[in-house]
Amino acid sequence: MSTDWFDDDQEQAVDLQLWKKLLRYTLHYRKTAILFCFVALGLACSDLSFPLLTGRLISDIERDPGGVDLWWYAWCYAGLTLSLCCCIWGFINCAGKIRTHVSHDIRRDAFENLQALSFSFYDKKPVGWLMARLTSDCNRLSNILAWGVMDMIWGSTLMTGVALVMVIYDWKLAFAVLAVVPVLFVISVFFRKRILRASRLVRKLNSRITGTYNEGIVGVRTTKVFVRQRQNLAEFDKLADEMYHHSVHNAVLSAIYLPLVLTVASIAIATALVVGGHQVLAGALTAGEVIMFMYYAELFFHPVQEISAWFAELQMAQASAERVLSLVEAVPEVRDTDAVVRRLEETGSDGHPDQIGRIEFDSVGFRYGTGPQIINDFQLSVEPGQTVALVGATGGGKSTLVNLLCRFYEPTDGRILIDGIDYTDRSLAWLQSNLGIVLQQPHLFSGTIGDNIRYGRLDATQEEIVAAAELAGAHGFIMELEDAYDTQVGEGGSQLSLGERQLVSFARAVLKQPRLLVMDEATSSIDTETERRIQQGLTRVLGGRTSFVIAHRLSTIRAADQIVVIEKGRIAEQGTHTDLLRERGHYYQLYTEQSMRDIVKIDSSFGET
Amino acid sequence: MDETASPPGAARTLWALTSGQRGRYAAAVSAMAVGTVFLLLVPYVLKRALDALVSDEVDLTGTLLPAAGLIVLCYALHGFFTFLRGRWAAQASEGITRGLRHRLYEQLERLPCAYHDRAETGDLVQRCSSDVETVRVFLAAQVVEIARVSLFLIVAIPIMLSQDLTMSALSLALVPVIIFFALLFFRRVRTLFQQVDESEGSLTTVIQENLTGVRVVRAFARQDYEIEKFLERNGEFRDLEYRLFRVLSNYWTLSDLLVLSQLGIVLIGGGYFVMQGSISLGTWVLFWWLLRTIIWPVRHIGRVLADTGKATVAIGRIREILDKAPESIDETAGEPVRGDIAVENLSFAYGDGPAALDDLSITIAEGETVALLGPPGAGKSTLVNLLVRLYDYEQGSIRIGGREVRDLNRDAVRSAFGMVLQDPFLFSKTVRENVVIGRSTAADHEVEESARAADIHGNIVEFEEGYDTRVGERGVTLSGGQRQRVAIARALLMNPEFLVLDDSLSAVDTKTEAHILRSLAERRGRHTTILIAHRLSSTRLADRIFVMDHGRIVEQGTHDELLEAGGPYSRLWTIQGALEEDIERDLSRVTHT
Repeated sequence: MSTDWFDDDQEQAVDLQLWKKLLRYTLHYRKTAILFCFVALGLACSDLSFPLLTGRLISDIERDPGGVDLWWYAWCYAGLTLSLCCCIWGFINCAGKIRTHVSHDIRRDAFENLQALSFSFYDKKPVGWLMARLTSDCNRLSNILAWGVMDMIWGSTLMTGVALVMVIYDWKLAFAVLAVVPVLFVISVFFRKRILRASRLVRKLNSRITGTYNEGIVGVRTTKVFVRQRQNLAEFDKLADEMYHHSVHNAVLSAIYLPLVLTVASIAIATALVVGGHQVLAGALTAGEVIMFMYYAELFFHPVQEISAWFAELQMAQASAERVLSLVEAVPEVRDTDAVVRRLEETGSDGHPDQIGRIEFDSVGFRYGTGPQIINDFQLSVEPGQTVALVGATGGGKSTLVNLLCRFYEPTDGRILIDGIDYTDRSLAWLQSNLGIVLQQPHLFSGTIGDNIRYGRLDATQEEIVAAAELAGAHGFIMELEDAYDTQVGEGGSQLSLGERQLVSFARAVLKQPRLLVMDEATSSIDTETERRIQQGLTRVLGGRTSFVIAHRLSTIRAADQIVVIEKGRIAEQGTHTDLLRERGHYYQLYTEQSMRDIVKIDSSFGET
Repeated sequence: MDETASPPGAARTLWALTSGQRGRYAAAVSAMAVGTVFLLLVPYVLKRALDALVSDEVDLTGTLLPAAGLIVLCYALHGFFTFLRGRWAAQASEGITRGLRHRLYEQLERLPCAYHDRAETGDLVQRCSSDVETVRVFLAAQVVEIARVSLFLIVAIPIMLSQDLTMSALSLALVPVIIFFALLFFRRVRTLFQQVDESEGSLTTVIQENLTGVRVVRAFARQDYEIEKFLERNGEFRDLEYRLFRVLSNYWTLSDLLVLSQLGIVLIGGGYFVMQGSISLGTWVLFWWLLRTIIWPVRHIGRVLADTGKATVAIGRIREILDKAPESIDETAGEPVRGDIAVENLSFAYGDGPAALDDLSITIAEGETVALLGPPGAGKSTLVNLLVRLYDYEQGSIRIGGREVRDLNRDAVRSAFGMVLQDPFLFSKTVRENVVIGRSTAADHEVEESARAADIHGNIVEFEEGYDTRVGERGVTLSGGQRQRVAIARALLMNPEFLVLDDSLSAVDTKTEAHILRSLAERRGRHTTILIAHRLSSTRLADRIFVMDHGRIVEQGTHDELLEAGGPYSRLWTIQGALEEDIERDLSRVTHT
């Protein structure tokens, strides 16, 4: 339910710099934007002309009921109607184009930048937060840039035009009618802001209610066994009550605002009648012109409402604009250095041989931002083809080391060398395209099992996929499924068990044939028997490839060429299985302790009996 | 579409839902009616003033000021009654919606597990959120709008007819066309609206999956592929939405053309009749002004009518949840449940599936600790699910303290059990709230005590806000092992008669497991304890061990008895023994070289 991420909108002063940046998106569609302005002006002019025509017609008939050329008026009216309709058509088309295209472009820029941003950025921003930026914020901003800008052009033109025409006809009457406008504007902005705020609150509550339903359904067993139905319902009712009060409040605000605006507007209409009627008595105006003034007085209030609404929205959307731009403009912390970028542009490669041999951690240190030191003076050298097992308690820094190796983060001290070359001097894409990573919580994309394995190598054939699955020990369970490789895995792979997901992600890594394999507790939910099969397969496929393994299973650890025991970000012990056992230190303790528990899984043994 | 979604059924359901709010709705409609009369009086006042103005029988204080005052008064009164209408209508519709939400939540909590097994969470949530929203919009906006336009016509038509017959006919000539055009148009483009919604949905899914799977994307250096996939959806959504705007622009243009034509007919036609002398200038303006007041809401009504179909469908989908039979409500009093557990000849299958339990018999004495072993699908979880009445059995019997579980109060049975489910669920509340859900009166030191026993206290105090840390996306994300331990803590806090741990130590590390097993050993005898386990380490705690397979008990006895029997259990131990020997060998090799 990650789209339910709202941020509290603080009303802020409008920062024009920010909107100027966003307006650049509109300017990509220069032709539409220019057309757009003309259409808005045309629309305002058409709107303006109707009262003029109506007023004149009434005046003419009033003055000389016999001699009016009605056909002339009919044609004029028809002409105006047509021009208004054309403008409306153009208005919606232009606004629609800008609205959809700008929203598309902002979203594209943000998404593309997200693909480059480092994990340090993702660490700080929950997925739900990012989703809200890419969905609701994008829509909101493009709405302002399309409809908001349009309404402002149209509204201000119309208001200026109406004011001008009225002043030309009778300035006294004009001022009498226009006196109401500031009042109206103040009322509108006052209410619009509150309505906007209230409706945001309602939306926020709505998403909380949805979340509560979701939790109620997913956690229904827990609710039942703890006999929580009544308390849960009481808590839900509290939320529903809150929703009720805020929704009614929201509706009441609108129910005060609109009639109030209409009543204030009626004062202008009434003024036009009295002052205008007085002028008629004095012979300065005709009744038709009084009607025209009343028509204008009424016409005025629509744009006032629209403009004040957009004005309020602009203030509220300030935060959205900032957040979206922060996404578009954020600079990735881990990226190719300028020198590498230059070499890539000039020669198409990063200037180093395309091979991964000896890997060295040279006094590597790491910390997140200003946080505590997680890795300290880490020194390790790995020969090509070696398997390195990283062992140690949770939180010791094993996963961080692996992240550094994959260059998801870069060391804050020291260097990591590949064949003697600092890996920051190589291209990021090159390194990562040579990696195979299998994680403890493997993420699958919705789609079929076959699609997910193919993610390892997009041009792989069906045979290659099956072969990879066989090597990964996944083929067996896949064939037992009704649709085999065409089985949908559901969102995040939810239709498969954790163990099955690990097998599929294994197959995915096998298909990629990486030069450097990283496994982060990748077999924790796979039974011993399958694990052994996988290892045999891996040895065959990945033989001679360097691999880093984080594991708890003794069998996995024991086979490693190097075992590194990590404690609090430092190497506590290092050596082969026998070396370390002989030392009777940390590893020995860990090993004996675990062996008591890490025995054959009951389920797999049953299969054998 | 099944029968529940048919319009008459939906109408009946809706009518039933409005119970308790009908008075408010009636008040809202009355207020609306009064307000409409005041609004439509304005053109009449205007006509009188204009006729006076034209005939020169006018003076400022005698005619114009009263007329102006009347206009403002009419608007003000209309405003006041509109306010009342808005308030009452909102209270009525939101009240109904609140009731509907309440009923849905209550029903979902009460539906049996068998229902939830089959239902898809996403689908249920959708029904509770967007379908309820559709009904709410129907009640709050559509019903009100239909009533408003009907009242407009009901009040306006007599006013028109009282003035002039021909002009009335002219004024209303295109009204049916305007309504039907909108109605037909929005019926036709409904699929386009759906397509846009779906396209937005799949765009959202692509973004969401990319963001949650960002590690995989990077690990496979698939950024370009992901961008391509995203661009395709993004472009598709843009194009579809743009198409929708273009189609809508046709609608608005044509419908504006119709509305303006209708106004033009009255303006020009009225002018003609004034020239003919058959109506006065004031009457002409009256018709024109009246039409301008009612025509825009009338134009909108076609769309509203076209959308009401959605509410019918939504109501049908909601009823499908409400009409399902919930777990039976127990009439019997909930006396405490305790004593020996005796299961006899119990058979059970999920729905039409294969037998999960097959003629199973087992007895567990009060205070005993037993372990259930066996491969996945052996029926271990099913057995405990039946014990706490998460499912109801039909064949065989389960007795606790000599009383048939089926006849006991459901809540009383469940309250006697402290359950740690296989995949423990934590609510997005604070850690403390999650621990105390089984016993909300527990004191802080008791909470800490059980957290210590579950070896989670240390982790909790390391969180920034300790026990008040929120669990979930807005708070901390707990690892699988931490979730299991919180779930154990909350079961222990209940100090239950029966304690059930369903494979609850699978995600914790060695030291933690040892610690928790020690805590359990200390509590031995305080609860009747059932351990479902995949590892032999837990079975050392058990007084008796049951080995299950294919829904039956294949072996039972104490650890020693089973070792001697030479069945599956002893084979497991042999494998473990072999492993331990292996380790010994490793060690001795090291020491001797």
